[in-house]
Amino acid sequence: MTSEHAPIIEMRNIEKHFGSVIALAGVSVDVFPGECHCLLGDNGAGKSTFIKTMSGVHKPTAGEIMFEGKPMHFADPRDAISAGIATVHQHLAMIPLMSVSRNFFMGNEPVKKVGPLKLFDHDYANNVTMEEMRKMGINLRGPDQAVGTLSGGERQTVAIARAVHFGAKVLILDEPTSALGVRQTANVLATIDKVRKQGIAVVFITHNVRHALAVGDRFTVLNRGKTLGTAQRGQITPEELQDMMAGGQEMVALEGSLGGTV
Amino acid sequence: MTDTAQTPEQDERVKEISSFRKALIRPELGGICGTVLVFLFFAIFAGNSGMFNSQGVLNWSTVSAQFMIIAVGACLLMIAGEFDLSVGSMIGFAGMMIAIFSVSLGWPVWIAIILAFLICMSIGALNGYIVIKTGLPSFIVTLAFLFILRGFTIFIPQQLENRTIIGGISDAAEGDWLAPLFGGQVGGWFFEFLGERGLIEVFERGTRAGEPVVDGIPMLIVWALVLVAFGHFLLTRTQFGNWIFAAGGDAEAARNSGVPVNAVKIKMFIMTAFCATVFATCQVMEFGSAAADRGILKEFEAIIAVVIGGALLTGGYGSVIGAALGALIFGVVQQGLFFTGVESSLFRVFLGVILLLAVILNTYIRRLITGER
Amino acid sequence: MKKTLIAATVAASAALTGMAAPALADGERYVLVSHAPDSDSWWNTIRNGIALAGDQMGVEVEYRNPPTGDLADMARIIEQAAASGPDGIITTLADFDVLSGPIRNAVDSGVDVIIINSGTPDQAREVGALMYVGQPEYDAGYAAGLRAAGDGVESFLCVNHYISSPSSSERCQGFADALGVELGSQMIDSGQDPAEIQNRVLAYLNANPDTDAILTLGPTSADPTIMALEQNGMAGEIYFGTFDLGENIVQGLRDGVIQWGIDQQPFLQAYLPVIVLTNYHRYGVLPGNNINSGPGFVTADGLEMVERFAGEYR
Repeated sequence: MTSEHAPIIEMRNIEKHFGSVIALAGVSVDVFPGECHCLLGDNGAGKSTFIKTMSGVHKPTAGEIMFEGKPMHFADPRDAISAGIATVHQHLAMIPLMSVSRNFFMGNEPVKKVGPLKLFDHDYANNVTMEEMRKMGINLRGPDQAVGTLSGGERQTVAIARAVHFGAKVLILDEPTSALGVRQTANVLATIDKVRKQGIAVVFITHNVRHALAVGDRFTVLNRGKTLGTAQRGQITPEELQDMMAGGQEMVALEGSLGGTV
Repeated sequence: MTDTAQTPEQDERVKEISSFRKALIRPELGGICGTVLVFLFFAIFAGNSGMFNSQGVLNWSTVSAQFMIIAVGACLLMIAGEFDLSVGSMIGFAGMMIAIFSVSLGWPVWIAIILAFLICMSIGALNGYIVIKTGLPSFIVTLAFLFILRGFTIFIPQQLENRTIIGGISDAAEGDWLAPLFGGQVGGWFFEFLGERGLIEVFERGTRAGEPVVDGIPMLIVWALVLVAFGHFLLTRTQFGNWIFAAGGDAEAARNSGVPVNAVKIKMFIMTAFCATVFATCQVMEFGSAAADRGILKEFEAIIAVVIGGALLTGGYGSVIGAALGALIFGVVQQGLFFTGVESSLFRVFLGVILLLAVILNTYIRRLITGER
Repeated sequence: MKKTLIAATVAASAALTGMAAPALADGERYVLVSHAPDSDSWWNTIRNGIALAGDQMGVEVEYRNPPTGDLADMARIIEQAAASGPDGIITTLADFDVLSGPIRNAVDSGVDVIIINSGTPDQAREVGALMYVGQPEYDAGYAAGLRAAGDGVESFLCVNHYISSPSSSERCQGFADALGVELGSQMIDSGQDPAEIQNRVLAYLNANPDTDAILTLGPTSADPTIMALEQNGMAGEIYFGTFDLGENIVQGLRDGVIQWGIDQQPFLQAYLPVIVLTNYHRYGVLPGNNINSGPGFVTADGLEMVERFAGEYR
């Protein structure tokens, strides 16, 4: 895609060891603003470790992280968040019992000062929430609707919209579509597309090749703690991606017996 | 795919909800229904038993106000995801501290009251700190303090005074500037006016013949109303209120979003201790004595009021107004059953039935609101 | 949901009306308020006493108590009773500070009050009550102490199961004063649980084997104490006196485990006030003085009547 401007985040030869276990053995990935970079890999390939390193949860054993051209050392996730790296986890930071607008501003409440009191500015929160949700294509019954009444896809969208609203430059989505139905998956993919068009770099982790191909600009496949290379959109077929993820021959045989449906 | 963005479609499976129904479905709904039912019930069965004359109204209002004071603390703490079982013992302990400082040690009453507040709020903070640091359920930690505080409440006066009831606080509080804030009354002139006009009953004999039987609103009731208003405001209108909900809804998710969950929980433990001390101070100033058995089982009464009011036992959901209504229901039922002349040992049966009905109704309402399954 | 609620309410109200309409004769209504928690079985005699008097005189009687024994709750119950406009209130005066205000208010608003059981005749006069029916606690303890001193007792254990009530401690204090010894740690806070009381008595006697006598303050502490003595073999050996009567205490008297029981005759404390109040309200007649319902010492002699009605009227 747009190779004329610099990557916002660049991970160079990242290694991560947990005791004697080598989770990552030299992984390099770069992400550009406005790009959806898909990170594919089977279970245990090292995807989670990699994004946790990117979001400041783990410190790399070796290798370096360049953020906006400068080397970065995140002490904890809070550092990464304030730098503009937001993660939307599989288990969302959402509280089902609370309303969408209270969830949206949880920890970042808009405050209206009345004398010495810090009041929660409900009008502002409600307006912003409704507006952001409308932008993402979700029509809420009202800002006081509880998150528990939303579908899984809608909750993902709320979490993504929240991260974007609070200034994320890099948005890491950890398997946002893994537990969703077809329709909801389509909605989440549409949301990703919108976020990308706002110039935000999206790192989309999945093990579903078709979801990746639907929105991805570039694709990096992780296998056993190593990258098997990064491919541009249009340079690779679904079958090739599937093969790289599964690691070759066995999958070909398996796929044959299943009639090419996987 | 991008087209869906501009015209978001309504999920056809989500029914449109009329604004009337929307206004109706709130956490307090169970409490409101219960209050209406309970008052209807007693209007029919105890309508002319004296329950609704001035003395009767004052009686059940005072009892309800007592429940409200501790229910506010318990409610906020429960929404923040924790319990405090030491409330009852704290009431006994706080009262005893005031009695010991003011009577046994002879210090001014206002110093005794302020010290009692400081000590009890520190114990509340300690409760919270232990819960946070050890990760133990607050149920267990505060159960320990239930025994510890009750033990001291019996031990200390026995050591100092050889008895477990310390009286004479009324004499000590004579002329004190802080004591009337807890044991006094307001609006006396209004009741005098009503009495003169014959609108409320007056004493028939004795030194106070001709004075109205109700000569003011006890500060206890004022405290209850102030605390309810404060709690409701804190919970719904402030940033801190959002943190209380978040801390109780899912502490981990709240932490991930930058909510200082530990500080919120500890502050709510302190708030609960504050409410218990207000209760104790009002009681001691009104009755003029402190006893080792004051406040027994009050923690459960507070929790029951909160649950009748629609709060979720596991936290993250509830309403202070609901809890206040729960306290009102509790107080009216407890005193009202006496007015109807029902055998008093059946009180618990009614309480159990009401609790069960309230919880069933509240669960139903909560599912409508939150989409829980 | 709604239907269930309505059905339940209807059922509850039906139950209530069924119970709420006791037979009225001449319409007088008397409320007895005690300070005892629900768990205290001794007060059953009181309930039977007012019920019998109510039947005999054809008046309506009610029994009220704070479920946990919290005296502050009791004050509210007295206020409530006064608000419900009865002809008379019969109440204990377990703590003068707490209860005097509500009682005085009841008296001033036109309700006649009789103090029973706890409190003193002086306090009863001070709150404006018609009379006091009961057993002066300190005097009863003192009388028991004199009797024990005569039998050669020099040290004792007082098993106090209701330590927060001043009148309980006064019994022990009177006993100690009559013996001429310091009360001090000879009075233990036993709690209300039978197993705990039993174990605490065992522990005390283990630690203080020279104890001459045991004083218990009612069936709540006497019954487990009997069990404790049977367990450690001191039953019949140690000098054992108790306040109040109950089935097991009567059996203990018969077996020689207990030397004497002090009967304050609670039946009279409940029965007489109803009779007195009814006659006062119907004919304007009133006895001229307080009534001492006790103390009376019950020993192994003449137990037959006591045994027959123990726990019911004795």
